[in-house]
Amino acid sequence: MAGGVSGYAAISAKVRAMYSNLLTPQDISRLSESPDFSSLISALKHTQYGPYLSALKDNELTPRRAVQQIKRRLADTYASVVQMSPTQARPLIRQLYRSFELGNLKAVLRSIVTVSSSWNADEAPWDRVREVLFPFGSFSTLPAQAMVESGSVASAVELLKGTPYESAISFALRRFSAEQNLFPIEVALDLDYWRRLWTEARKLKGLDREAATKIIGSLLDMNNLMWTARYKIYHKLSEEELINYTLPFGFRAHDDDIRAIAAGADAAAVISRIFPTIPDVAALLEKPHTGLPKLEVQIKRQVIQQCAAAFIGNPFHVGLPLAFLILSDLEIQDLIALIEAKSSDISDEELHSTLLKTALQN
Amino acid sequence: MFFPREMTEVELIIPSKDLVTVTKTLSGRGVFHQVDSAYLGIESLGPNAWQEKAANYSALERRIQTTMHTLGLEEQQRSASDFDTIIDLGAAHADIDRIEGEVKEVGERLLAEKKRMELLESQLRQIEPISDVNVEVGALSKSEHLYSILGVMPAAQMSRLETSLARVPHVFFTLKEDSQKPVVWLLGPRSAYDVLDRAAKSAYLNPLTLPEEFIGTPEEIAAKTRKAIETSKQAIFGLEAQLKKLGDAHNAELQKLWWDVHVSRLMADAIARFGQLRHTYVVVGWVPTAELQALTERLKAASKEILIETMPTERTAHSANVPVALTNNKWLKPIQELITTYGRPGYGELDPTFMVMLTFPILYGAMFGDLGQGLLMMLVGALAHKRIFMKGLQSIGLLLVYCGFFASVFGTLYGSIFGFEGHHIQEYLGFHFEPLWISPVNDILTILGLAIDAGIVILLFSYLLSLFNAARAKDWAHFWFGHTGVVAIGFYLCFLTILNSLLGSTPIAPKLAAAISRLPLPFGILTPIFAVGVMLNGLFRNIVEGHRPLLDGGAMFFVQAFMDLFEGAISMLSNTLSFVRVGAFAVAHGGLSLAIFSLAGTEPTIGFWITIIIGNIFITGFEGLIVYIQTMRLHYYEILGKFFHGGGMRFEPLRLNPSQEEA
Repeated sequence: MAGGVSGYAAISAKVRAMYSNLLTPQDISRLSESPDFSSLISALKHTQYGPYLSALKDNELTPRRAVQQIKRRLADTYASVVQMSPTQARPLIRQLYRSFELGNLKAVLRSIVTVSSSWNADEAPWDRVREVLFPFGSFSTLPAQAMVESGSVASAVELLKGTPYESAISFALRRFSAEQNLFPIEVALDLDYWRRLWTEARKLKGLDREAATKIIGSLLDMNNLMWTARYKIYHKLSEEELINYTLPFGFRAHDDDIRAIAAGADAAAVISRIFPTIPDVAALLEKPHTGLPKLEVQIKRQVIQQCAAAFIGNPFHVGLPLAFLILSDLEIQDLIALIEAKSSDISDEELHSTLLKTALQN
Repeated sequence: MFFPREMTEVELIIPSKDLVTVTKTLSGRGVFHQVDSAYLGIESLGPNAWQEKAANYSALERRIQTTMHTLGLEEQQRSASDFDTIIDLGAAHADIDRIEGEVKEVGERLLAEKKRMELLESQLRQIEPISDVNVEVGALSKSEHLYSILGVMPAAQMSRLETSLARVPHVFFTLKEDSQKPVVWLLGPRSAYDVLDRAAKSAYLNPLTLPEEFIGTPEEIAAKTRKAIETSKQAIFGLEAQLKKLGDAHNAELQKLWWDVHVSRLMADAIARFGQLRHTYVVVGWVPTAELQALTERLKAASKEILIETMPTERTAHSANVPVALTNNKWLKPIQELITTYGRPGYGELDPTFMVMLTFPILYGAMFGDLGQGLLMMLVGALAHKRIFMKGLQSIGLLLVYCGFFASVFGTLYGSIFGFEGHHIQEYLGFHFEPLWISPVNDILTILGLAIDAGIVILLFSYLLSLFNAARAKDWAHFWFGHTGVVAIGFYLCFLTILNSLLGSTPIAPKLAAAISRLPLPFGILTPIFAVGVMLNGLFRNIVEGHRPLLDGGAMFFVQAFMDLFEGAISMLSNTLSFVRVGAFAVAHGGLSLAIFSLAGTEPTIGFWITIIIGNIFITGFEGLIVYIQTMRLHYYEILGKFFHGGGMRFEPLRLNPSQEEA
């Protein structure tokens, strides 16, 4: 089992090279100045995404297809990083990659519920779903098409036997049957996914463990805080439910913080204490419909900084590939926001408030 | 040999009647890379019926697979020749309907019985831990003051549930420990039932449900459940025997049916991507030129009226859509893997495999020069390649052989064998072994200077390869003004004269830089000219390529131009000096061996030899790995980055059988 310098030499060299190819805040800013969707795509063709976008003819490049092509690059990046990672780091990186499979699973389940309630004869359900699924390739354990075609959530869940989702979803299925709402299933899947990711990070040793818990912990901080805020504000959940629907670990946000918010403490004060550089949290929480997405953007920017910090100092640990993959994912979130904005009527001001990279410097 | 395999673009016009035979020929050889007609601008006339057919074959294939899995049969791949023509959907449907009819009913009964048994076992697991409690299970829910929930929940959620109930008096028992589904019992005051209920629900505690007929004490219920499980097991055994009999009866037919439908599906998928005209189909794709003749003959044999147009492809910068098939040579495979990790060569690009095949082992050998350890590495590599020893290294076995060979060559040149050098060889090994060339430990500065010289040669060669690539691609802007263009090379030569003037009198001064300085050229005038050229290369490229505006960003353009020059000079310096590591590692190898000798002592006792053996194993493994990383780094950063861009599209031919060899 190679670790340290020997295990990470190749991957760290490769990741550093790929890191330098990530779009800078200036690049994102330039892209955001594109007047429309087609000029944005032309500009993107001059970036690392060019070969993926050039694979389609111009008249076929709809916003949805462009997003799919861009995601393909992330899938290739993950595949290459997983392949080059040392043995002990692979389970963690694979689990991180599973977040996209989890997204696919949720999309499949939602499509089953939607199709059973509003059936559209013009288009087969699978044709509609496949276009929004992340191009996960051979890593996927999901029998997505068979699930969609099974026609019901219960039959689809049957097909998940032997996958990492079987256990979590089997506990939540009873509540789905009673409530006919995917919420309990989605929450169970999220909790299970993040628990597994955290466990994989904690299984590592030494510098690997330190770097991994910092980065994965930052993601958990974001999720725990955003889950608590959303469940409390939108779903009006009780204290015990909030606690059960969150996780007791993270990097900066501790379980006491989450429990305090669940028990009714001032969420803005808690969040400000955890992230002192985020301004006006109270104002954001006063208008949750617009404020919560903005708060999420601010916390994601903190995650970006945390990831960028992994590239400083000793490069021979799992932090580099992890940070790079997360940064790549966040970059794609920016690009998706740009594509959606340029292909619809979203104003520049609204767009800039959703972009993660513009307010930061590399 | 120095480029990816030459490809020819092939356009076929196939009469509808020969469609299937031609597709079979194309798919059967594993040499045809299909281009989707959707990307060719060929408008199909009407809806493409083959897409629907492909979907139907796919659905049918799944049905056959499901039936086969129910019968416990594995699909068996056959050879491409074991297929006649696309199977008739109607006939295939009739066949599978018939077999499915026989299998489905038994299969469904078996599934239902298995589910019933699973449920009974789960109930038994839940009830067994409380079988010594002498109360009726139903009575628990009738208590006036207590609210209780007995059930299973995810083990990972248990501590969270307790945390969530910190403010409510409660008792929480784990009745049965289980890493997946522990059985738990939650009790609390009935007045707080709503909190308990919400907490239990949100922690995914699923209350125990027993069939209504199972009433009584837990012990009574457990006894009834065990009896029901036994009956269920017997039923399952009977149904499985029935399925086994059906499997034996239908195996051959199902295997044939599956293979025919599977291949039909693959062919229908391919045909769905053909361009469809009124009476003909248009197929476009790529074939390795060496395979073209054989494929053409087979296609003409398959269809007398087929029209075949071939277009040889030029290797230009605009050939990004040409798939890239690398030379299929097993001796080059480990080097190819190193290259493709960095990037797949473009079609018009030099494939650096042959160059790296030389430079990688040579640089490795120069850093790890030791005759004994090199031969040991060769042996380990050969055994790993043959999967006799250290099977995990099989993929790099050949690379170890190459590197080991050059390590032993340089070991001979350096006079080093298993760490013994100079008088130690005579003293301990009993024979004379003098360096044929140089002893790195004794001539440290000379070897460092030579390493820089070697670096300069490699860098200049890389620059020239970059020019070669640009000239072949007719990319004149980059040929002259690119980061590795003519102007940049000119500046590098001037830079070497400056380097020589700085290091001229020191022992590590590169001799090549001194030789360049002695050339009868006005370097004093050329240096500022090339420096300006490097500064303004963006401007010059815009002029050659006709891009406007010429100057983007006003004053900032000049600031950026100056930074380009600065960065260019720094990277030339660091690239050149980076090769010092080749000499430094040669010296370090000797140093590490000396350290082992210090530990071993001077008397040739058993302890001495054990230390030497362990030390050699350590050096071969540890230093060998570090030198491998350094060699890889030199190639990725210093060498390949100069002339190799990558980004080629993988050659993925149509094939009926996944085990079919790639062309």
